[in-house]
Amino acid sequence: MSIVRKRFFFGFMESQAKWLNSMSDKGYRLTECGKLNYRFKECEPAKYRYAVEYIGDRSFEEAEKYREFLESFGYRVFYKNMNLDFATYKLTFRPWADKGGRLSSNRPDSTYNKELLIVEKKDDGKPFRLHTESDDMIGYYRRLCHPWYYSAFIFALFAVLLWPNLICSVIFGLLTLLCIAGIIVWNFRIRRLIKDRETEE
Amino acid sequence: MKDNVKGGALTEVTFFILLALHTPRHGYAIMQFIEEKTGGRLVLGAGSLYGALNTLTEKKWIEPCGDSRGRTKECRITAEGRAIAQKELCRLRDLVNTASEIMEEQS
Repeated sequence: MSIVRKRFFFGFMESQAKWLNSMSDKGYRLTECGKLNYRFKECEPAKYRYAVEYIGDRSFEEAEKYREFLESFGYRVFYKNMNLDFATYKLTFRPWADKGGRLSSNRPDSTYNKELLIVEKKDDGKPFRLHTESDDMIGYYRRLCHPWYYSAFIFALFAVLLWPNLICSVIFGLLTLLCIAGIIVWNFRIRRLIKDRETEE
Repeated sequence: MKDNVKGGALTEVTFFILLALHTPRHGYAIMQFIEEKTGGRLVLGAGSLYGALNTLTEKKWIEPCGDSRGRTKECRITAEGRAIAQKELCRLRDLVNTASEIMEEQS
């Protein structure tokens, strides 16, 4: 029997992975995901583990290469949207992305609405982590900060430009603060990793 | 990866990847090799391995070769990679010799 759950996690990837793992613990395996919908089918409880990774700064070609690399490990991989946008035609500029991924559209061969990868593996009793090396994790966390910096800048700009309209300014101001909070969290993690690395060296 | 930053030392992961690729291997086989040779102490995530393989390919220490599984090719060590691994082996031998001399003298 399959069930459908509606959820949206925005950029909170760890929460998304935690929820998918909790669904697996209850005996549900992910079979399909849309913008809001997650379809599951029944399975043996805790048979699968999930990890979620941000790939929104890669070109589509690079994202596909990475997906195929992960699939060669026997993992199942799903693309997932990080934004909630139902526009028919969409073109976005991602100045932080790698070459080939800076202009992103919702064409099938582009990365818009494919900013995340949900990766599934059969549980082998070990924690499921895609990034394990401190240097690699520092690089990954720095990449994660880029969209937060960009969003904070855009929201702050709107908050200032819409100043005569108090409600709009407050809303954009709060969104700016939310992005700054995200930046602080990731930078805190980066600093901790750098400190640990220095101790290890 | 922070290789060759301090005294030409490779990271443990880099050295193990170079060792693994003395025989052509796919990503998953490299991961299994490292896990097996370290008795499970060093477990490398697929994302970290992907980044490491790209970096080592850019440095020309390893290269894609042979049959591909889908588009994911096997990799093998290059002559330059072998020279780097050999240098690391000499460095580790010197380190072990120095440590043995000092520690065995004291015990």
